[in-house]
Amino acid sequence: MTTSTKRRRTAVRLLAPLVALGLVATACGSDDDGDTGADTSTDVAATDVASTDADTGGEVADGATIRLRGQDFSEAITIAEVYGQFLQAKGYDVEILTPAGFRTEALDGIANGDLDLIIDYIGGTQSALAPDAEPSADPEAIVATLQEPLAGIGATMVDFSPATDGDAMVVRGDSEASTISDLAGLDYRLGASAQCPERPQCLIGLESPDVYGITFADYVTIEFGPLLGEALANDEVDAVIWNTTAPQITEQGFKVLDDDKGLFPAQNIAPILSAAIIEAYGDQLVTDLNELSAMITTDDLLAWNTETDIELRESDAVATDWLTEKGLI
Amino acid sequence: MIGARVRAAPGQTAVPRDIGFFEWFFDADTWTDPGGILDSLRETIVLCAIVTAVAVAVSVPIASYLAHHGRFEVSSTWAVSISRAIPTFAIAALLVPWSLERGWGFEPWPIFIALLLLALVPIYLNTYTAVRQAPGGPVDAARALGYEEHHVLTRVEFALGASLIFTGIRVAAIQVVATEPIRAFLGGDGLGRYVRDGFGQNNNTLVIGGIVLIGGLAALTGLTFVLLERLVLPTGVRRLARQQGEQR
Repeated sequence: MTTSTKRRRTAVRLLAPLVALGLVATACGSDDDGDTGADTSTDVAATDVASTDADTGGEVADGATIRLRGQDFSEAITIAEVYGQFLQAKGYDVEILTPAGFRTEALDGIANGDLDLIIDYIGGTQSALAPDAEPSADPEAIVATLQEPLAGIGATMVDFSPATDGDAMVVRGDSEASTISDLAGLDYRLGASAQCPERPQCLIGLESPDVYGITFADYVTIEFGPLLGEALANDEVDAVIWNTTAPQITEQGFKVLDDDKGLFPAQNIAPILSAAIIEAYGDQLVTDLNELSAMITTDDLLAWNTETDIELRESDAVATDWLTEKGLI
Repeated sequence: MIGARVRAAPGQTAVPRDIGFFEWFFDADTWTDPGGILDSLRETIVLCAIVTAVAVAVSVPIASYLAHHGRFEVSSTWAVSISRAIPTFAIAALLVPWSLERGWGFEPWPIFIALLLLALVPIYLNTYTAVRQAPGGPVDAARALGYEEHHVLTRVEFALGASLIFTGIRVAAIQVVATEPIRAFLGGDGLGRYVRDGFGQNNNTLVIGGIVLIGGLAALTGLTFVLLERLVLPTGVRRLARQQGEQR
């Protein structure tokens, strides 16, 4: 399994520009496929959950296996390993499945009853399950819009973590700006992906006088990924829309500007559980998950990504080291 | 500078997702706005024309010289062909960080080099074949008449193979036009931006528009070269090429 993970990561590295074409390999993209997939399977989910309950009866409490699958990009793979190994150490029966797919597949897995635990980014979950709801920089506001659609697919989101992997305005370390508002008079060249110009939470909000009112000297479309860092480091652009946990930010001495007007939606990580597994294990499982989520920080995500993507370590080893260091296993 | 870059003005209004293809495509502003279709077309055509011209300037002299002297037939055609085994996108993508580190920017070098490697192949192979397989009769006759060797090449072998060489250039130009849109995925623009933005913004109108434009330009390129061949090549040479084709 470790070999295949390694090979996959190498392949991802080589094919990154290609992959970036179709897949927004981050939590940030608005995921319009996600809602259709999840919606159509709602009915199936309801019956599946019911039948699971009926079939397994009373013995589910000690025998239920928590099936956990990470989304298929390095940060999510490490997150899945952290949650999985933590629960295993607590004595739960956990099966950490080979990472596959992205948000759509994860939510479908919960809805279909194939998975019991996934970890997602709340802003992304919102764009998939409640696309008409107002995105917000306040995680509580986002979570409030999610309870109903999650219940619709037989799932529950427990407490979100302070750790967040959201959109970020990234500039070179020597920039005089420290907040996004500071960019107003700087006439910067902006680099971002093709999604940005049409999104209110991106270029539209940055330029709108109602939000930031910034005028950029140029807008360069750059595929999401390492190319953003290359362009920034080599003075092709002066600012890029990246994500808060891109490991190149620390590696190359970039800095993340403070989103002082709350434009970018909150993207805290949060576990989503199937109703069946909550029923099987009760509140103890929720309490344990909340304990772990509270301990993970954005800096941890950044450190994990640096270890997996820059130092090329295995996700499961990174997870074990972090849990050991925190005294959680 | 190769591929003069005119970018969409920052803050250009995004194309609405529910706009119909015809409504968008046949709106004059869609074409004439800064960063509109005309600008993209110009960027694409300039780059493709330069790439094809350089490929001709490099391939034709080398291929015809080597073919005339019968040198490196296997090794050179093998080496040229093998370069096609590496996808053009991979070559361009690998060259981008290299170019950025040198301060040369996203464009034009990575996409230029990648497209040039693509264009060299059909032109080189066709030129080599055309000269190598020129009919022995006329070539011997020219030598008997006292033609110097370079005149045998330029006045006889070249003339007899002109149609085949022209085909190579036409194929190369079409391939270059059809492949150039990858630059939109590597920090550039050109016609590929409609496909890129369409995918990124989940806007099928843009994707279809991009495909129509790219396919249309490639088809027009082919047509232009066919007409050019009619104009440039003497009727006799074209008839000869047809006859040779029948004999083979």
